[in-house]
Amino acid sequence: MDAQTILVVEDEILIRFILADSLRDIGYQVLEAGDGDEGHNILSSGQAVDLLVTDVRMPGEVDGLELIRRSKLLAPGRPVIICSAHLLRSEAFPADEFLAKPYSMDALAEVILRLIGDPWQKNSQIHSA
Amino acid sequence: MAEELPDPQCLIVADADVLIRNALAEYLRHCGYKVFEAATSDEVIIALEEGAVKIDALLADAELSGKFNAFELRLWVRNHYPDVEIVLAGNIDSAAKAAGHLCDEGPHLQRPYDPESVAAHIKRLLAATRRQDR
Repeated sequence: MDAQTILVVEDEILIRFILADSLRDIGYQVLEAGDGDEGHNILSSGQAVDLLVTDVRMPGEVDGLELIRRSKLLAPGRPVIICSAHLLRSEAFPADEFLAKPYSMDALAEVILRLIGDPWQKNSQIHSA
Repeated sequence: MAEELPDPQCLIVADADVLIRNALAEYLRHCGYKVFEAATSDEVIIALEEGAVKIDALLADAELSGKFNAFELRLWVRNHYPDVEIVLAGNIDSAAKAAGHLCDEGPHLQRPYDPESVAAHIKRLLAATRRQDR
């Protein structure tokens, strides 16, 4: 059985690498995107994505909030976590969870576990159609 | 006492197309590498200069954009990081083939699957995205 897949969308390569690497160490499958446009391409490619973790302010046409809107259109049940240094918690309502930057990996892992369970838990109902 | 495992070798996969980059990087991770994914030459430079890990090889798309084009980047890497092996690939098939060669030279794991199936997987993903965009 494949592990659950998390799409990490973050424009700073070193943050993205550390984040993705840490989640892989936990056991999740991780897809990386460098901005919202790339995130949208991955979501549109038909690959199974169980959870979206996204920054808000990124270069390109699709920012984090627009990416969440598109993700919810493709798969309404797929949870989303916003990670931002600029957004207020009250502005993060399109997402299921909000983490203010800087945040710890432990805090992120805890939120992920709450939303989708451990890497091997089956949540097939949240994949896109 | 348990024997300490050596650090995994590190690669950078650089390609402006996220679907190609993801698939190549995932294949190389299955071969036992730690992989940075870079979309531009600027990100390659950041990963090399600030990555805090020694990079062993760079697999880059020959059409890579950014501060440097792919050929300028190769020259820059040769001058600044002469130990880094550099492979430029001109299309999906040659990139997958190059990933297969890196896998053969790789740290400790066998090829998880054939480079041809990596290329086929990438082409399927690209086709699906194009259908969605219509």
